[in-house]
Amino acid sequence: MDRNKLVKWLKAPTKMGHKYSLHVVYFCTGCGIIEIPPVITSRWDAERFGVIPVATPRQANLFLITGYVSVKTLKAIIRTYEQMPEPKFTVGFGSCPINGGMYWDSYNTIKHLDKYIPVDGWIAGCMPRPEAIFVAVTHLWTLIDKGMADGYKKYREKYKYYRANQEQLYGKMDWPPLFPIEDKDEPNPS
Amino acid sequence: MKLLKEKLESIFSSIQVSILKQDRLIISAQKDVVLSILSFLKSSGYAHLALVSCVDWLDEREFELVYVLSAYMQKDDEYIDKEKANIILKTRISRENPEFLTVISIFKNAEPYEREIHEFYGIDFKGHPRLTPLFLEREYKMPPFRKDFDTREYVKEVFDKIPFVDNKDGKK
Repeated sequence: MDRNKLVKWLKAPTKMGHKYSLHVVYFCTGCGIIEIPPVITSRWDAERFGVIPVATPRQANLFLITGYVSVKTLKAIIRTYEQMPEPKFTVGFGSCPINGGMYWDSYNTIKHLDKYIPVDGWIAGCMPRPEAIFVAVTHLWTLIDKGMADGYKKYREKYKYYRANQEQLYGKMDWPPLFPIEDKDEPNPS
Repeated sequence: MKLLKEKLESIFSSIQVSILKQDRLIISAQKDVVLSILSFLKSSGYAHLALVSCVDWLDEREFELVYVLSAYMQKDDEYIDKEKANIILKTRISRENPEFLTVISIFKNAEPYEREIHEFYGIDFKGHPRLTPLFLEREYKMPPFRKDFDTREYVKEVFDKIPFVDNKDGKK
């Protein structure tokens, strides 16, 4: 262990634990997933950074959105994201989740992912190099240190708006709300 | 290849057969003889329907259905005999009344292709057992692969109208 980080470990052991055990959920969207096999295997060995892929969203706390998100995939992404235990972090990978990228006028691709789920960081580029994932991971470490990677808290707080956006896209959703939705704005007549 | 061409032209009078290159045969046919051409080709060895596709000719107000057929290899000499031919069968149907007969009775694997074409182009295949949605999650006013489907306006109407969550509550 790095001796310089001993103070940090003693001060905030949970934060350090979150930092060095980023478990990525196995979820592939779009073309960015082609960058993930070299990242997790011996060439760029992501386990040096504590990043390993895990089988189910119940064990994961990092969600890499690796490419364009179609309307149908977004449903699966929301379900997966809601199943992950807190704290959970989301990183959008490539330019398509940011603003649509080359699918900016497509009829079936989501343009802004952060309208539907909170995203802690973005990796720009089409495609980003595998090294960019490690830059993002180290950047995420500093965000966790400063307590700025709070997408999951935002999802809890503003769940009403996220759910409204999701319902605006899909109509009626197939599953009940994750958090209770209270309408504070409208006074109850009874 | 040339034998097949002559045979086709002798049986079906109204079709045009052309050889694009060495192993590519293109048949343009009227829509009323398509089913009989397909069953003839299936009985003469071209038993694999590789693809059913569709092209939207907006200026001519027509849809073009494309059936791609090929032969299975059974013995080496048989394969040489058929010269590895891929057969492309094209037919045109009107755009105002997009209806056609299903080919499931001849090729069973045409079912998902026809469902897909029904979903993306809105062509009604008579006699198809289930023309239910296959890929699309939302409902569209017009089938989205038609040339006059305005994707930019659709994006403006649907995706751009969904607000950013950060701008709610007036704080970032």
